[in-house]
Amino acid sequence: MLSICQFEWSRLFLTRRGWLSIAAFLLIWVLILVTIMAPAARVVTSELSGLASVALEAIGLQNLSRWASVEMALYWVISLYLLPLFSIAIAADQTASDKTRGTLRFLALRTTRSQIFFGRFLGQYTIQILLVAATIISVLLLVGYYSADKLADAMQSVPVVFVNLLLVLMPYVALMALLSVVARSARQATLYAIVAWTVISIAIAFIQSRYGPLPLLDWILPGSQIGNLLRLDGWDTLSLAPVPLLHTVILLAAGWFAMRRVDL
Amino acid sequence: MSLITTSGLSKHYGRVKALDSLDLTLEAGDPIALVGPNGAGKTTLLSLLCGFINPSAGRAEVLGHPVGSSELVGKLAALPQDANFDPRISIERQLHLLARLQGMSSSAATDEVQRVLDTVQLGDIGPRKPDQLSHGMRKRLSLAQALIGSPELIMLDEPTAGIDPPNVKIIRDLIRQESSGATFIISSHNLDELEKLCGSVVYLANGKLVEYGPIDPSADSGYLTLRPNEIDPQQFIPACQSLQGVSSVQQQAQGDFLIRYDRQYAVDQQLLQLLAANGWSYRYLINGRSLEDRLYGSEAG
Repeated sequence: MLSICQFEWSRLFLTRRGWLSIAAFLLIWVLILVTIMAPAARVVTSELSGLASVALEAIGLQNLSRWASVEMALYWVISLYLLPLFSIAIAADQTASDKTRGTLRFLALRTTRSQIFFGRFLGQYTIQILLVAATIISVLLLVGYYSADKLADAMQSVPVVFVNLLLVLMPYVALMALLSVVARSARQATLYAIVAWTVISIAIAFIQSRYGPLPLLDWILPGSQIGNLLRLDGWDTLSLAPVPLLHTVILLAAGWFAMRRVDL
Repeated sequence: MSLITTSGLSKHYGRVKALDSLDLTLEAGDPIALVGPNGAGKTTLLSLLCGFINPSAGRAEVLGHPVGSSELVGKLAALPQDANFDPRISIERQLHLLARLQGMSSSAATDEVQRVLDTVQLGDIGPRKPDQLSHGMRKRLSLAQALIGSPELIMLDEPTAGIDPPNVKIIRDLIRQESSGATFIISSHNLDELEKLCGSVVYLANGKLVEYGPIDPSADSGYLTLRPNEIDPQQFIPACQSLQGVSSVQQQAQGDFLIRYDRQYAVDQQLLQLLAANGWSYRYLINGRSLEDRLYGSEAG
């Protein structure tokens, strides 16, 4: 499984398409840093900080104004919503194109389908870990540039943010592992993700409007804990960790089942 | 231990029976030809034996192990039809991964990659990417991956389809060279090619087994096949039919004369005398029928 996992890194870091994906990710991220995070951080730390606190309180995120580093607080909010989208795009082609091209047949003669499936998932997940680390480092650089005295405070929140982001992203990578098995290409897998998301969201809304609130349904989609996550501080956030872990286990089990049944 | 055993092996796609309750036992040895018309179930059978698809019913064992067993890693190899390498990653890196998955150390895998590339006469293409190769070279590359390690059974699905004669010859020579250490099962429509390479034939039609037996044309006694150079059929057929023991003479589509005779008579000697007496030149005379005539000819069976 480790060989499959390592080869997944090669597919990203040793191919032109892989580097294009990384470059696109970095460009968008730099754009977010420069055009959103840096100006927003300056607003929050200026005379308008009172107004910002009121605004955060109005949307129930008053605890963010208590963060020692404004940049890290902004990063926390933005990354919780944005990184899953990147995750879906980057992890979309775990097995799809290799299955269509017949490349998986060469592998299937030498290892089990389970090892291919979980090896690819692990490879993609470790790539996500690297990308999360890269974004956090970029924010620390931003903090160091604009308010070096806050760097130590910012670094204190890094472990909590890092661990939580890894938990948040895990079910998204698992979801794309599943969809990649049934799709014929990365684009099709991404489309399946969008369609599934939309259909399930509409179905949940319809069921709840017809039969009243069913709290369990609010937890069905990956990322359903993100809203609650923003209202928690520090390691209290880990109280929601079972949600993404359970999503991941269910999605991986479904993907593993599909992988064992699919024609290569 | 048999090479392959199937029992009631079936694969259905909806109402279509691609393979219909196949009972088959194959033994290791000379290469085995797998033939049949399009849709006969050849690729389905190979895909089932390799574990690429799951059976609808029945079971199959390869080298004494159930299909998909980890015991088969390194023992079973295949050149699947239409399977391609990732076009974005270097050939040596992809082959290296396959060798590693077969349990080789990194350095052993590096050596093995070079060995198999040299074997298929592509020793210098390691750093290149698959999409930089011609179709024939890609086929040879696929064959190279099948030679990694020391497989006991190598299944080739249409190994020479769509490639030029020089590449066909290279692949044919390779199969001959490697068949001393492994048993090949070769699916192909090129019956001349199979006749040169294989010792036995499995003939499928409509997903069912029609025939399994030796390919040696001499075992098919009672027939002679004459490939002429320049012989007028109008003169040859009546003259040949007048030989003692000859019951029929037919000219096949490719120009060969298929002569059916009574084995009590030495028709081959009479025929050679007839050819010499009339100054008719010929390319070859085969004792028996070609595989094509045996399987698809008007007097098949």
